[in-house]
Amino acid sequence: MAIVKAEKTPDRPAPVLESSVLGWLYKNLFSSVFNTLLTFFTLYIIYLTISGVYVWGVKDATFVADNRRECYDNSLTGACWAGVIDWLDNIFYGRYPREEIWRIDLGGVLLALWMAPLWMGRVKGKVLVGTSVVVFYPFLAGYLFSGGDKGLFMQIMVTSAIVAFVVNMANMLVGLAKNTSLPNFVIQLTGQSKAPDKTQRNVLLLLLAIVFAAVFVWQMNWTVESISWTKWGGLFLTLVISGIGIASALPGGIILALGRRSKLPIVRVLSTGFIEVFRSVPLITVLFMATTMFPLFMPEGFVLNKLVQVIIAVILFNACYMAETVRAGLQAIPKGQFEGAHTIGLGYWGTMGLIIMPQALKHMIPNIVGSFIGLLKDTTLVSIIGLFDVLGMLRSISKDIPWLGLHKEPLVFGAILFFILCFLMSKYSRHLEVKLSAGRKH
Amino acid sequence: MAEKSNLETEVRSRPKEEFNFFQDQRVRSVLYQLLTAGIVGWLAWYLISNTAHNLEVRGMNTGFGFWNVSAGFDTDFKLVDYTPGIGTYGDIFIIGALNTLLISFLSIVFSTILGFIVGVLRLSRNWLVAKVALAYVEIFRNIPLLIQIVFWYIGVFSLLPRVKQSLDLSFGTGRVVLNNRGLYFSTPIPGDLFWLTPLAFVIAVIGAFMYRRWAHKRQDASGVQTNTILPSLAAIILIPLAVYFATGMPLNWNVPELSGFNYVGGTSVPPAFLALLVSLSIYHAAHIAESVRAGILSVNKGQNEAALSIGLSPARVMSMVVIPQAMPAIVPPLISNWMNTVKNSSLAIAIGYSDIVALFMQTALNQAGYAVEMVGMTMAFYMFISLTISFFLNIYNKRVQLVER
Repeated sequence: MAIVKAEKTPDRPAPVLESSVLGWLYKNLFSSVFNTLLTFFTLYIIYLTISGVYVWGVKDATFVADNRRECYDNSLTGACWAGVIDWLDNIFYGRYPREEIWRIDLGGVLLALWMAPLWMGRVKGKVLVGTSVVVFYPFLAGYLFSGGDKGLFMQIMVTSAIVAFVVNMANMLVGLAKNTSLPNFVIQLTGQSKAPDKTQRNVLLLLLAIVFAAVFVWQMNWTVESISWTKWGGLFLTLVISGIGIASALPGGIILALGRRSKLPIVRVLSTGFIEVFRSVPLITVLFMATTMFPLFMPEGFVLNKLVQVIIAVILFNACYMAETVRAGLQAIPKGQFEGAHTIGLGYWGTMGLIIMPQALKHMIPNIVGSFIGLLKDTTLVSIIGLFDVLGMLRSISKDIPWLGLHKEPLVFGAILFFILCFLMSKYSRHLEVKLSAGRKH
Repeated sequence: MAEKSNLETEVRSRPKEEFNFFQDQRVRSVLYQLLTAGIVGWLAWYLISNTAHNLEVRGMNTGFGFWNVSAGFDTDFKLVDYTPGIGTYGDIFIIGALNTLLISFLSIVFSTILGFIVGVLRLSRNWLVAKVALAYVEIFRNIPLLIQIVFWYIGVFSLLPRVKQSLDLSFGTGRVVLNNRGLYFSTPIPGDLFWLTPLAFVIAVIGAFMYRRWAHKRQDASGVQTNTILPSLAAIILIPLAVYFATGMPLNWNVPELSGFNYVGGTSVPPAFLALLVSLSIYHAAHIAESVRAGILSVNKGQNEAALSIGLSPARVMSMVVIPQAMPAIVPPLISNWMNTVKNSSLAIAIGYSDIVALFMQTALNQAGYAVEMVGMTMAFYMFISLTISFFLNIYNKRVQLVER
């Protein structure tokens, strides 16, 4: 007689507690008397908050009005969004001439297009794409935003930037369409794929030179009106400062971090001292130092404008924080990598540049995004020393005659704006972290 | 013998090493360092000589002589006696430094308490509570602190009722009053023999500690547990109270009274102080909550389960097993948060609270014009605080690491 059953017993359904909505509710919200009370209490708090915000911000709010008095006529207790809406252009672009705003938009679109290949799996040469953004984009954007006459240097840089952009876009299209890199594609197109490397390189360089010359001739006639930096403002200025800040802080941070880990005592002491000094003081003191002491540092008669002072201060400050991020990234690299690099005969710069930094930087990307969020938030401080960034613009709404005394709504708008930007970026950086660390374990 | 011959062959076969000056590692390292030192030294010399020249050309004052010069302006909030016109710039520096320390200390206390609460709530088994805590953290971490500070100042504390309609926060006794000029509260004035009460309190606390140690020793020796909390609490509360009443309640209150257009008496803090305190506490609590949560999660799950299985109550599991093991992971980020609180208190300048930056680096600098010295002193003050805090952090880290091994 068999004790074991011949046929399989049917699977029992999961317990009600685990599977149903009610079970979930019971487990997570009403598992005990205390928990139930807590749930209702929290629900009440949520209700109070949301209804309060809803009534103030939506139900009783005024969206269309010419001045604050009309808002009050509509409702005394509601928000007056009309003021914010009226100032929306100022909040985003500052006092940039309205007919020239397309330049800022174009700059943003160019940057987005330029960086787009970084997120495309099929496109080749991502490192070059990233480097070209950092090296060339600032010149193109700088000229687009400030305009005026181009000197020879600026002409060459603008031309290089345009060429880099065109090559990048072509590379992206080729990558998407043919799944190969642009140089390979061009070589195939010209029928030189059998030719020796040297010929291939010469063909490519010749083509590049032709494109460069063509663009150079074209851009000579292309000028845009000069716009003083004093007209820059709003979110645009915030992004310019934090963008330049993060792009320049990264190389600075790498140098400082290498210096801090160097075996040479003088280099190490100097880097450590520099890093620690800037990390131990608040950004606002560095900004004040920049505006009060930079004029003293410069030779007589040489005047830096305030924006440049602020940007230098932001770069110095962030380079020191970035140095610590880089140092943490370097410390995470196993010692075997250093030893392996030495074994195959690489010197210090070879080891760092070819073996260590590429690995370290890849794993630092989430932290770099994190630093960028911090920098973006910190950039609001420049409003204290009199630049009209987002916060500066938001605060000047209350000084505009029609909207005199309108404080709360602009600040809430600014809070929402920053929340959206920073929240999305931090979600993205966490996503990256998970993705990269998953790749690392295998 | 074999050894010797080996040595000889080695000596014979060693190739003659050519000494290349630029390839030698030692020469290179000295050269690099000299180069770095040279560049940095030249830069420093260049900046200093420019500065000296500029100061001379502009006829600006240098030196630390301003320390004893009387400052002609007043501040609305100060912890030491100061009269404009008599008090010196040195006093201004001290007032500013004390104000910074006060606001930082209070913000640190409140943000740490709030942060621990939110961090634990983040791990609550009640889904709704955990999500609310998450929303708190995400909202306040992702909005720039400066916007929060300005909002609390302009949007909340400046919109409070006027002096005549002040809010009474002490249930009608008038001891704590809030209006758009700030918070007014009564201050105790100790009378004769009042010193006995705090003394009794200190003695009671020491006694409670000794009792606790005795109970621990007894438990180690005999396994008998003694209830220490109730007797200790009773002693700490009752003994000072008894002394206080026995000495005839020697404590008077300096109560703020409405006189004319403002309150007189008691102690007051301006709205800027309150706005800064609230926003710093809320902002940093959100950061601390995340490190607390990460610290608790870093404790191995098995520790929790093992502690529950030997019969400890959930509260004791938390306080005796999880939290002590989570502390080494919580403390370093916690302290770096405290350092950030001190640094972020410098944003006071945006709403006019007289901290060291607003008072010394801004107002005093504009009045007296010792730019280099004043900026340097302010930065040195922050560096001193940071170094002090990181000194203690290093001691803590060393202790924790030793315990681990």
